[in-house]
Amino acid sequence: MKRLSPSVSSIDHSHTKFGRLWKTRPLKRHYDVVIIGGGIHGLATAYYLAKEHSIKDIAVLESQYIGFGGSGRNTAHVRANQRTQQNVKLYDEGLRLWPILTDELDFNLMFFNCGNLSLAHSEAAVSGFRLAINTATFSGVKSELLDPQQCKEVIPALDISDRPAHPIQAGMYHPPGGTIRHDALVWGLAKGADKHGASIHQGVEVQGIDVDGPRVTGVQTSHGPISCNKLAVMAGGYGASICTMLDIELPIHPLTIQAMVTQPLKPLLNCVLSSGAYHVYANQTLKGEIATGAHMDPQVNYTTDVTAHYFKHQAEALTDFMPCLEGVRFLRIWAGLADMTPDMAPILDGNVMFDGLYIDLGWGYFGFKSGPITGKYMAEFIAREEAPEILAPFALSRFLENRYMGETATTMKYGHWD
Amino acid sequence: MTFRLTCPVCGARDVYEFRYGGQERGPRPEQAQLSSDEHFRWTQFRMTRPEPQEEWWYHTGGCGVWFTTWRNPATNREEPPHEVERG
Ligand SMILES: Cc1cc2nc3c(=O)[nH]c(=O)nc-3n(C[C@H](O)[C@H](O)[C@H](O)COP(=O)(O)OP(=O)(O)OC[C@H]3O[C@@H](n4cnc5c(N)ncnc54)[C@H](O)[C@@H]3O)c2cc1C
Ligand SMILES: [Zn+2]
Repeated sequence: MKRLSPSVSSIDHSHTKFGRLWKTRPLKRHYDVVIIGGGIHGLATAYYLAKEHSIKDIAVLESQYIGFGGSGRNTAHVRANQRTQQNVKLYDEGLRLWPILTDELDFNLMFFNCGNLSLAHSEAAVSGFRLAINTATFSGVKSELLDPQQCKEVIPALDISDRPAHPIQAGMYHPPGGTIRHDALVWGLAKGADKHGASIHQGVEVQGIDVDGPRVTGVQTSHGPISCNKLAVMAGGYGASICTMLDIELPIHPLTIQAMVTQPLKPLLNCVLSSGAYHVYANQTLKGEIATGAHMDPQVNYTTDVTAHYFKHQAEALTDFMPCLEGVRFLRIWAGLADMTPDMAPILDGNVMFDGLYIDLGWGYFGFKSGPITGKYMAEFIAREEAPEILAPFALSRFLENRYMGETATTMKYGHWD
Repeated sequence: MTFRLTCPVCGARDVYEFRYGGQERGPRPEQAQLSSDEHFRWTQFRMTRPEPQEEWWYHTGGCGVWFTTWRNPATNREEPPHEVERG
């Protein structure tokens, strides 16, 4: 794959009215903290480290360009109606962060608070909704059960008759959710991280990790060796591959997940819609396209391959319960990685495999909404060298102690490992 | 960009005819004396290097045979094993 030369971004635009959002600083040979991955997790961590912990000597190393990974490929659905209290707590705080961040970063993240409606097509799925709704209610998050008629009031285009292969039996309606402009978040965080002193290096690929006994000491990159006191692997789906450089095994399956958009239509889908049984999630973008994400390909891989298989699948699924979409054309398809864990919750840990090594991985197809809030707490973890209470349940050790997080008990599950 | 896999019976077929069965990892460890740590590592922990690995596949949409093949997760395509030295 072709890489951006780092010099591309070193053109000086600072004198123009619309200057660059962040500077390119010279690549140094040593940093206090090196972060691998210029997605929202890496950028948010750099932002909060610099802003709230006064650690300025930070490099974010990005092999391609910022937002190349899942951060620029997701469908940007945000919500806080997960199954377990530990997850809801983190995602809920994340959801409350959007207006604050928009202000702080002085960048329009285009948070569209349209709400989320998830559909249940079986008795088991309805029971799953009841569990999730109780967790949400207990945690002070708004989430309610709708009958099919109420679902149709939210989205009139739904066919709530017995005709579809999987008739709609209930809905889980979650008003606090919605969508965000994902590129805006990447750019805004880069701007904020840079402003507070962190440096972002695009086109710099990490090719090896240096250790000295129990400690990580630096990285080998496409632009030479760089030493550091602390190293954070925040490379999304590529993180599992980076960990193999240190022969680290993880309970992670890197898979591809595809998404696509239709031609623009008049407004007909006024909230985020998802259905576990149909393996579909969809929303209508502000441009009018129906953006829809599909099931994952089952074999582990690090590609962004797309297939006609999913055009067909999405078309069949969407038109079965929203028949008015028949004949609408797909315009584009793309794919990104989803790094799946057995309990569908992330792995957030530090100083366990090697001293000074932090990991923020296993976010599957749900790590966009949680990016900034996780970055905030990972920054605290890295600065204080101790897991903040809110992150403690996400430690890797849970898999060795049979304390799985139970997120698979939701109906949003899609994979064969669930 | 769907790729094809080579079934030993049916030959090269569309990957969506197959079910992925995971990495070939040698014989399952003996249950006796297995610590819970070792048990969970065996069942859940994996190392997915971006280089060819031997895998199990099942020809669901064809002859119904389980077989192993070498495929590279970095490209999704079948590829013979690399000669790697790891020390
Ligand atoms: C199609 C799709 C739909 C999704 N929909 C949603 C959704 O609706 N809601 C939601 O919450 N989540 C969603 N997700 C998941 C979400 O996008 C990810 O969990 C999230 O973006 C992960 O962010 P990150 O910063 O951890 O990693 P990424 O954004 O993947 O960033 C990792 C970066 O690391 C870089 N990198 C890799 N290897 C190296 C190396 N060796 N050296 C240097 N840099 C390297 C990559 O180039 C990449 O830019 C979706 C994902 C996909 C693919
Ligand atoms: Zn066959």
